[in-house]
Amino acid sequence: MKNIYPTLSLFIILAAAMQPAIAQTPSDAIMMNQRESCFGLIYENSWFDEYWEGTYLRTNGTIATVKRNTITPMIAIGAFDRLNLIVAAPYVQTESTEPNGGKFAGAKGFQDLSLALKGEVLKKQAGNGELALLTTAGFSTPMTNYLSDYRPYSIGFGANELSLRGILQYKLNNGFYARAAVAYLWRGQTKAERDYYYNNGSFYSAWMDVPSCWNYHAVAGIWMLGNVLKLEANYMGLASTSGDDIRPYNAAQPTNKVSFGQAGVLAQCYLNKPKGLGGLAYYSQALYGRNTGKSSQFGVGLTYQFRI
Amino acid sequence: MKHHITISILKVCIGLCALFIVSSCEKDIPVQADYTDYVYSSMDEDGGSWKPILLTGSSQIAVPAPADVSSDAYQNELAALKTATSNLTGSQMEAVEYWSNNPILRWNEIALELVAKYNLIPGPNADGTYTLPDPANPGNIPHFPFAHPPYAVRALSYLSVAQFDGLITSWFYKFTYNRPAPGQVDASITPAYVDNSLPSYPADGAVVAAASRDILTAMFPLEKDYLAAKAEEQMASLQWAGINVESDVTAGAAIGEEVAKAALARAATDGMKKAQCPKPISDSLKTAAFNRFGWQWDNIEVPPRPVGLTPLFGQVKMWNVPTVEEVRPPVPPAPGTAEYEENVKELKHYADDMTEEWRAIANFWQDGLGTYTPPGHWNRIAKEYVLKYQLNPLRTARLFAYLNMAMMDAGISCWDAKYYYHYPRPINQIPGYKTIAGTPNFPSYTSGHSVFSAAAAEVLTYVFPEEGAKFRDWALEAAISRVYGGIHWRFDAEVGTAQGINVANYTINVAKADGAD
Repeated sequence: MKNIYPTLSLFIILAAAMQPAIAQTPSDAIMMNQRESCFGLIYENSWFDEYWEGTYLRTNGTIATVKRNTITPMIAIGAFDRLNLIVAAPYVQTESTEPNGGKFAGAKGFQDLSLALKGEVLKKQAGNGELALLTTAGFSTPMTNYLSDYRPYSIGFGANELSLRGILQYKLNNGFYARAAVAYLWRGQTKAERDYYYNNGSFYSAWMDVPSCWNYHAVAGIWMLGNVLKLEANYMGLASTSGDDIRPYNAAQPTNKVSFGQAGVLAQCYLNKPKGLGGLAYYSQALYGRNTGKSSQFGVGLTYQFRI
Repeated sequence: MKHHITISILKVCIGLCALFIVSSCEKDIPVQADYTDYVYSSMDEDGGSWKPILLTGSSQIAVPAPADVSSDAYQNELAALKTATSNLTGSQMEAVEYWSNNPILRWNEIALELVAKYNLIPGPNADGTYTLPDPANPGNIPHFPFAHPPYAVRALSYLSVAQFDGLITSWFYKFTYNRPAPGQVDASITPAYVDNSLPSYPADGAVVAAASRDILTAMFPLEKDYLAAKAEEQMASLQWAGINVESDVTAGAAIGEEVAKAALARAATDGMKKAQCPKPISDSLKTAAFNRFGWQWDNIEVPPRPVGLTPLFGQVKMWNVPTVEEVRPPVPPAPGTAEYEENVKELKHYADDMTEEWRAIANFWQDGLGTYTPPGHWNRIAKEYVLKYQLNPLRTARLFAYLNMAMMDAGISCWDAKYYYHYPRPINQIPGYKTIAGTPNFPSYTSGHSVFSAAAAEVLTYVFPEEGAKFRDWALEAAISRVYGGIHWRFDAEVGTAQGINVANYTINVAKADGAD
């Protein structure tokens, strides 16, 4: 359900969040200069009490409301002026609210280590603003032996992911900006702890194909108060290119075809004192989906920029 | 210059990542057993004298003598066979390879797949009530059947028993009439499968096709068309493979249809229709247990299910055990006793200190909703050893028949204990207890996994004695997996294992006397 996209959603949110000089993410348009670095620590709380079984939105007393807490330390490093490295390592904890009919234990642990390299392809003045084109190549892999085949409590999808993203931003001189990004996420296979499963037919293996997907986002925002406060609205979409539907009243599994769209808002500030310190807060809500929770989430974070 | 360097680094990184993903992760995931035709380890020429399960004898189903190979009728069939085998399309060749010379394994896989497809528990309605699948209207929501473990093991046992009796009949007539295989009559016909000396009339493959189709259609009525197409393809593949002429196939199919009728006649009156009893009867079982023992199990799902799973499955007709009472296990430890408290402590330990090893064992044997169930898991294991030991179809059918009869009897005995003792689950008893496995909708004592698995391991050990230590270890692991999963007490597992062994011995004694050893 929602838990299959933690890293992704986090990056999307971070992408929206860490816009100014203080930070950058795989999907934003920011580049840091060589030897600049930014450390971020973000807490996210996510929950859903309805989910899409295929495209049918339902509740389920067995799992009641599924809650998810994520703490993500991350760092962005300016390797070169036009090539930056971003590393993140989320810790995730999940559980159901009481009362619930299933009495399932939640799960917790470090999820996936993600590495991303971002390169600036183009940056030029155009009209009353600046046009930037960037590309990001990312790779993530599970850090621990967490069980992906334990929906909806599993902390991740348990497979390697290779992503390639294109980012286009236009920023007006008066602080307004708009950004669009498109990515393809190749996802590998995850290993379950059973060697038979049903995916519109029998599969005699512990290996499950995790569907690859397209990921889109669109952002509109403004910098205010002399680049101290940023406010923004964002929309993120994800669409798997294969996979099966959750069967009636049955548990989800990593092979499911997951799609969703979510809208959000974000505020971020950058302080001059103490120098390098910043903060952010965001909220987003799923609007439509398939084989995923109708999640809401909010996050708060601190960022700190420094030179190495 | 700097720009070029950054792009180059990017390219290298992308390439490395892509290489890593492609080389280390993507594996072809098997959807069926990987085997082709093989040399049978025995022919069992005397197989026609073995004692069938349902039929009174191997000649109960009458099969007329075939036309002589020198007759025009046979020569015409032979000519048609030659034409068919010399012009195979790609899909016909695939069918020949898929069905192989042991199609029982394919039908077993088809059965397991249907179990997994239909093993979906009905969810609640908007008003908190539950609707049961309706065998009279299988297409209604929820679809019929809900292929839970008792349903699955019953379907598998009727399938296997019909195949076994049908093949005993087929073997009897094969060696009565001794019609040679087409390739032996006409050397220009090269059979697609390794040569064997089996007489071709009636076609054993057609027996399996027709019997399997009819049993599985009765058990999974919404799959009627799918199963008919499978059987049609399998029967046609016998001719495409050049191993049977049309009259071999027709005679085999007739046996399959007759034996399926006999099996389904038993199924119609075995008591399964009443197993999912109404609430007043279910409540009376609960009350009786409470009055007798002072405890009861309750479903605590949200919303609660009014009736547990098949409370009267314990009254279904057993295959080889005269009365279910004679294999009923002793009374479990009462809550509050020292043994019970020790069990509580152990369960808390597993929950609090869960290791990856316990978790892996709990998940490996879970075989829960949406899967082929524990009986299905043991059928899958049996299939792997059929291939290892290269059993012929008759021996294969015999193994599956005794395996599934023993597991069905084990399940009936287990359900008898479950609803006679009506013992509560750990989540009913231990405040705040949480599990990593789903707690099923029936009482705790004894553990179904333990009983099914112990019975299966005993039958497999009887057939493959040199592998016995492994089968029995697996059965013990399957039993304790439910304790690691937090949904069973240790005594559920241990007593269940003893119960499964005890029940299986009734079936093994029948097997020992059937003339095959």
